[in-house]
Amino acid sequence: MANAEQTAADLDAAAASSVSSAARQRTLHTPGDGHMWVMVLGDLIIFGAYFIIFMVHRAMKPQEFLASEVHLNINIGVLNTLVLLASSWFIARSVQAARADDHAQARRLTYLGGLCGVAFILIKAYEWSTKIDQGYTISTNEFFMFYYMLTGVHLFHVSLGLLILSITLRELRNPRRCRLFMVEAGATYWHMVDLLWIVIFALLYVMR
Amino acid sequence: MTTTAARTTTYAWIVLSAITIVSWWLAPGHTRGAAAVASVPITVAVVLLGFIKGRMIIRYFMEVRTAPRWLKLFTDAWLIILWAGVLAIYLY
Repeated sequence: MANAEQTAADLDAAAASSVSSAARQRTLHTPGDGHMWVMVLGDLIIFGAYFIIFMVHRAMKPQEFLASEVHLNINIGVLNTLVLLASSWFIARSVQAARADDHAQARRLTYLGGLCGVAFILIKAYEWSTKIDQGYTISTNEFFMFYYMLTGVHLFHVSLGLLILSITLRELRNPRRCRLFMVEAGATYWHMVDLLWIVIFALLYVMR
Repeated sequence: MTTTAARTTTYAWIVLSAITIVSWWLAPGHTRGAAAVASVPITVAVVLLGFIKGRMIIRYFMEVRTAPRWLKLFTDAWLIILWAGVLAIYLY
């Protein structure tokens, strides 16, 4: 009898927990915290302005910009895009792992995401050095001025992103005190770095 | 629940990477030495693909898909203003 009561209570508890998880799934949730979103949305507006300014200058000298664009290495551009997309996948999976309380897995995925970020910086450094060797510098023309400026400011954001990921790692190191919103906020910033690169890649390397 | 979310993230990543590889084929960088030719259809395609990629990163990676309405509206407005602006300036 006592056993049956306990089973019924267990079933009730299970039902209640499944209802609450379904409700949680439906509830809207702002990933991270408000401060991070203020920073990210602010950055998006500032970069948006850079991109529009780039387009205005491009529209004034379309031939010069297109002729210069040909000298960029599309293979490296695509490779770096794939590297950043992979890093974003690692970081997005890391947040999901942290949510499932699998902190060891979340840490591993964050390391892999950060490693991709380091690879991006190294590939970009190689790209810059080959451009400089070929004689294309910031003073070559307006296109290269924008190329170094946009990729340079973006590179600074990648470095800042790596610093933020190291804070995420510190957060994940102590599962009992891990604050999920900190992990989410770090991921939000990292994905913004990816998002901005997607636009830079389209405008500098691909459009004609 | 976790596995569904993981699968969705992975699908988004595969589509994003596939679009990137298609972009390689669209770019003018292969015509090393030869003059690149301006192309409205290619640029329109690049703008559309850029919009789709950006929206996928925002919705699936940044998890705005399940975020409050104001965040969805703000990020959509950013994407539309940016890419419509880029295209309008290019065509003008």
